[in-house]
Amino acid sequence: MKNFLHSLKIYFILSLYSFKTINDHRKAIFFFILGKFFRFLFFFLLLFFVFKKNPSVNQYNFNQVIIIYLTFNFIDTLAQTLYREVYRFRPLLISGDLDLILIKPYNTLIRVLLGGLDFTDLGFLIFYLFILIFFLIKYQFDFLNLFLYFLLLGNAMILATAFHILVLAFGILFTTVDHTIMIYRDLTSFGRFPFDIYRKTLRDFLTFVLPIGIMFSFPPKALFGLLSFENIIIAFLISLILFFLSLKIWGFSLKKYQSGGS
Amino acid sequence: MITVKNLTKIYKTPIRQKNLFQDIFFRKYKETIALDNISFSIDENEFVGFIGPNGAGKTTTMKILSGILYPTSGEIDVLGFYPFDKKEKFLKQISFVMGQKNQLIWDLPAIDSFLLNKEIYEIEDNQFKKNLNNLTSILNCSNLINKPVKSLSLGERMKMELIASFLHDPKIIFLDEPTIGLDIFSQEAIRNFLKTYQKEFKKTIILTSHYLEDVKKLAKRLIIINQGKIIYDGSLKNIIDFYSKEKIIRLTLEKRPEDNFLKKHSLLKYQFPFLVLKVKKNQINQIVSQLNEEIDYSDITIEDEPIEEIIKKILKNN
Amino acid sequence: MKKIITIIKISLKEYFVYRLNFFLWRVRAFINLLIIIFLWGASLKTFSIKEKQIFISYLIYGITISYLILGTRTTDIADDINSGRIINTLLKPISFFRFYFYKDLADKAINLFFAIIEAFLIVKIFNINLIFPKQILFGLIFLINGVFISFFINLLISFIGFWSRETWGPRFLFTIIVSFISGGFFPLNILPKTIYQILMLTPFPYLYYLPTRIFLGERFPFYIFFLSFFWLLGIFLLTKKVWITGNKSFSFWGK
Repeated sequence: MKNFLHSLKIYFILSLYSFKTINDHRKAIFFFILGKFFRFLFFFLLLFFVFKKNPSVNQYNFNQVIIIYLTFNFIDTLAQTLYREVYRFRPLLISGDLDLILIKPYNTLIRVLLGGLDFTDLGFLIFYLFILIFFLIKYQFDFLNLFLYFLLLGNAMILATAFHILVLAFGILFTTVDHTIMIYRDLTSFGRFPFDIYRKTLRDFLTFVLPIGIMFSFPPKALFGLLSFENIIIAFLISLILFFLSLKIWGFSLKKYQSGGS
Repeated sequence: MITVKNLTKIYKTPIRQKNLFQDIFFRKYKETIALDNISFSIDENEFVGFIGPNGAGKTTTMKILSGILYPTSGEIDVLGFYPFDKKEKFLKQISFVMGQKNQLIWDLPAIDSFLLNKEIYEIEDNQFKKNLNNLTSILNCSNLINKPVKSLSLGERMKMELIASFLHDPKIIFLDEPTIGLDIFSQEAIRNFLKTYQKEFKKTIILTSHYLEDVKKLAKRLIIINQGKIIYDGSLKNIIDFYSKEKIIRLTLEKRPEDNFLKKHSLLKYQFPFLVLKVKKNQINQIVSQLNEEIDYSDITIEDEPIEEIIKKILKNN
Repeated sequence: MKKIITIIKISLKEYFVYRLNFFLWRVRAFINLLIIIFLWGASLKTFSIKEKQIFISYLIYGITISYLILGTRTTDIADDINSGRIINTLLKPISFFRFYFYKDLADKAINLFFAIIEAFLIVKIFNINLIFPKQILFGLIFLINGVFISFFINLLISFIGFWSRETWGPRFLFTIIVSFISGGFFPLNILPKTIYQILMLTPFPYLYYLPTRIFLGERFPFYIFFLSFFWLLGIFLLTKKVWITGNKSFSFWGK
């Protein structure tokens, strides 16, 4: 318990510092926020053009499509908010400054995973949450399904965590690749749209091999009452397996770490 | 305090093959032996200098001793721990300063990084204040800790790095090229600081540096590494006694010597009125008396060969 | 001429050194193409066969061409300005703009090469019946126009580095805007008429939307062609001006 509180305190200090540095980057952050807002708007419009005119496409109505889109944004943004430090891992690795994090009596993985809470994304997260709640209320949901939806959102975060840990580990193992995190981001972008638009083989691959489907497509499906009980069990099983696997691979990567810089 | 037995470290780097497919799925590696079966031990309160050419394995040794790198094989015991386990208790007792790497938060004043370390190392308030005061006064830089790190010069930043690394009163300190890239005044300041600090607080310090000056002024014990092997381990004084078979005699002449004289001795340099001779150690008395007879001089000094020369020779012969 | 070939050759070699990196970058590009094709493939059911064919052909041609238009190495410039490394390029006996344009050519060539292969794969996988390109010569003129507009906008964003360390914010915004307003997700003419006409006043549709539509046989009113040249000239002059002011206001020393 004492250990946990101690870790939490350090987490708060790191978050506070990341808040303090916002001012130094305010111009860039302004453009960044603008860009993110436009992206959200553009995809929203795209969905409008694609699905509003063809309401029968894949059995989803427009409202459901938007819930899928917002669920994607929520999970994606929550992961970015919490794990922003992962995006700064490569410079740390290349310069060798990671050495000085490794020798600190504070868990390295926690530091490089959670050490940079992103406050601009926190703002977006709240924004998405409000719109999501708005559309959830508009959609007539069943309470059990809503409960499963939240449970699967939690499950999606376990998967997101595992993916980010894998990104860190692969960063150490394959130092010549400079955008591992962006590969993750592009793969997850399959989840922005209803999974049913993809062909079955691709869909199954994305769901059970790369569990991106479990992350983004399962929660709304549960909400709409379209997910079987077995699939929910499988979802949790896959997440836990991947999560422990990612920790193992992280440990392995530390043994292979060769320290950059000089 | 530190014991290392038969330590070996092999780096593996992927080799580019004919096609991408092989590069990804059937990676082949080139093996580089960074440390080749080395053994040594270091006691409390020692100040040890690691010397050797680039890629000799100095930094690798320190990184293994601090738990950053995983050794390929060998036994290592530092303060009763196996470093790679990265036990909190162990990490709280060590510190690592690297001249080219930085732990300070770039956009914020150094004091924020210090406060973060205070929490990470769980330093008591009083102890923290005391240590901070101590360190800033020895380094004479209390005015810098409130300025954003990015606005500091390289030398000033190094001072902040040192404070950040020493606040928790580490028992063992690893210093990897702490003076690299600094101007001579900053080098001097950091050297003096390390000297004072070690004397006052009785720390075990292990240092590598390209500037032999650092090692000469600070370390009492020298470990020379070349191609992953230890080729000398002993005091600075012994290396001169042991390896140097020659001495240098410098003379200031009163008048020009005869050609005959110049031919007879091995001259290092001659530009009237200065004359420098290199002499075998065991012949020193004999030569000096010869000089007394043969020439007039107003001044004579007898020196050891410069340590740089001795080390160069050792590395060459190895 | 020899200079040009050497610069292009060396740039290509750099890609070869980091080929795993490049390969993964193309995988990402392929994923994006795949998603767009799936998205529209699932939802064009109310379209006639002919309309659908034009629509999908637009996406395939447009996205492939976009790599030729947008491929650039100028993103390195801001960093070079901030670190002072830009001096090395400035001291070379070749115009700065030209040097980067040749580097860009290498980037464009290698990206286009792979983009064509990817497009071919998609056409095969989805069994797409592509429209054969028309008005080729005419389209090429505006394609080249688009290449230059994109080149100068990219330079312009990097030159922000003369005044600020943080060019990634504006670049991020640019990337997002370009991907939509230039027509990377759908042909702009499906938008409501007023929005479409407003967009056509910005430089973005002239990057690859216009040339792609010309290749698909569409005819445009004359003022559209005029606007394309207008933007090229305007952005070129602006970039030149910013380059000169930037050079004057910036001190390379002591960085």
